[in-house]
Amino acid sequence: MPLLDLKGITKVYSLGKTTVYALRGLDLTVERGEIVAVMGPSGSGKSTLMHILGALDTLTDGVAMLDGQSLAKLSEDQLADLRGRKVGFVFQTFNLVPTLSAQKNVELPMIFLGVSRRKRAARAQELLAKVGLADRAHHKPNELSGGERQRVAIARALANDPEIILADEPTGNLDTETGATILDLLRRLSKEDGKTMVLVTHDPEAARIADRIVRMRDGRVLEAMAHG
Amino acid sequence: MVRDFLTLAGSSILHRKVRSWLTVIGVFIGITAVVALISVGLGLERTINDEVAKVFGVDTFILTPRGAFGPGRSAQGSAQYALDLEWLRAVDGVATAAAVRQRTAFVQGQAGPDGRLTQGFLPVVGLSPELVTSFASFIGPLELEPGGRLFSGGETLVAVLGRDVAARLQTGVGQTIVVAGDGDKPELTLAVIGILAASDPGSSRQGFASGMSTSRDTIYVPYDTMELLWGPADDVLITLVRTSPGRDVEEVAARVQAELRARGSNISTVTYSDISSAIGTVTSTVSAFLAGIAGISLLVGGVGVMNTMYTSVLERTREIGIMKAVGAKNSHILSIFLIESGLMGLVGGVVGTLLGLGISSVASAIIGRIFEVRVAVVASPSLIAATLAGAFALGAVAGLWPARRAAKLPVVDALRYE
Repeated sequence: MPLLDLKGITKVYSLGKTTVYALRGLDLTVERGEIVAVMGPSGSGKSTLMHILGALDTLTDGVAMLDGQSLAKLSEDQLADLRGRKVGFVFQTFNLVPTLSAQKNVELPMIFLGVSRRKRAARAQELLAKVGLADRAHHKPNELSGGERQRVAIARALANDPEIILADEPTGNLDTETGATILDLLRRLSKEDGKTMVLVTHDPEAARIADRIVRMRDGRVLEAMAHG
Repeated sequence: MVRDFLTLAGSSILHRKVRSWLTVIGVFIGITAVVALISVGLGLERTINDEVAKVFGVDTFILTPRGAFGPGRSAQGSAQYALDLEWLRAVDGVATAAAVRQRTAFVQGQAGPDGRLTQGFLPVVGLSPELVTSFASFIGPLELEPGGRLFSGGETLVAVLGRDVAARLQTGVGQTIVVAGDGDKPELTLAVIGILAASDPGSSRQGFASGMSTSRDTIYVPYDTMELLWGPADDVLITLVRTSPGRDVEEVAARVQAELRARGSNISTVTYSDISSAIGTVTSTVSAFLAGIAGISLLVGGVGVMNTMYTSVLERTREIGIMKAVGAKNSHILSIFLIESGLMGLVGGVVGTLLGLGISSVASAIIGRIFEVRVAVVASPSLIAATLAGAFALGAVAGLWPARRAAKLPVVDALRYE
């Protein structure tokens, strides 16, 4: 059973009087342990796909299965629980909570799952060490560089040991060199722990770390090709 | 998890120090006003009760015309009643009793310079000598002009005159007046033994019970003299009864009331607790009214919390999106925001309570100085606990709407919010 199995996914937004077809019958499967890069021009539906994969958004039509569960059948609370347990997000804009230290930001997903204080702290320290920020644990996001913030975000994405990491333009706000180290870090961590990762990007560099590249246009998958 | 939410809420409050403090100030002004007013109100109530107990004595009750005191007071019914004072004094549990009778009588004084007798219809009040000996706190000091004295037990053919009466009857101490009684009774010649001094108009030491404040145009005679002139008492204004030590005032009062009514006296008994509850009703009403006004400022404080939380939700829309993306349920978001607004209410409550108690003790001291009484400062734990709980609830309720809004934000929209 693939980890992700999408069939005929349609997503329609209504913006005032016009309706926008973001996804038009998209099919996609992602196997466990695979790193898939989704590429395409702006407006091709990459981000919408990402939101649906991560149970952040609902779909208009089609069937989306994550780890054997149909997302459409879950309640709001069940979706929140699923995001907490099975999905780790890495965003282009980092999306750290500005009032919390790096350590607390990494602990955040564990707080909502009710993990005990001590376990949380230990896990956060372990993860921050993994991303090379052991000495920055008590800094707030505005005291960290862009690359450091993205490392905190990666540590946070791994906090609850998720099935899948969803990275939405993870290098979009970083310079080339920093971006490359972040990509290497993502690949290393995914492969070390055998994590599945879906990477949305239009950075060809980013695609370099993928096992497979999926190209999108106008809300559909154009082609799927293996990548060496 | 609540502890973690507290930390999250706390860090958000501290992150917006200035606005949080302004919000808290809005709350604590309201709380201060409410606490101060309630505390002063309770203090005054207790002080008044203490003063009443001092004057009235918890072992004393009074007999008033039926319906003259308390709720349902009506103008109907006689303001005077019949009474057998000797019988009352013999009732089990009664230590001593004193009564006041009043009549209007035809009175003759001395001849004026033109040789004509001064005469006229004047109020005559009969006082039990026990009023002075046993119930001095009720009538206050009776000041007489120099050379005069009050009558004592056993005397009958004597009178004390109000100042104006003395002038109109052209009669001084040592002279006599003639008072006519009922048709079949002889008129009596009474020796004037004292004239009431002009009372100091500024004095707050008035006689306690109505009808007993000294009057300048009244003739005061011993209670027994009234009987010589008009027979058994059917014109009593008020009776004071002191119970024997250790007796239950309420029980004795109830028995006296029942038996006197059976004997045809149209009276009601009023005990210390009746008076104190009547005063309590008045002071609580005033307190509640004042607290209600103060409550308006509390309401304004609540609106302030609501405004701050609403702004906070808007500002943190993205943060809410992040928390939801990493697994926060709607109920988690709701809790965090409610705790945050409740915390601001609670801090406002703590500051407000302290400040309110401070103000109330200063106000009590000032009131005490003006009225020359010691005003009790009431800081009951239940008042404090209720205030703090109320302040937290105020904050939470004010935050409810913004918090629900925050919880219901769609994740994707919240994440995209700039």
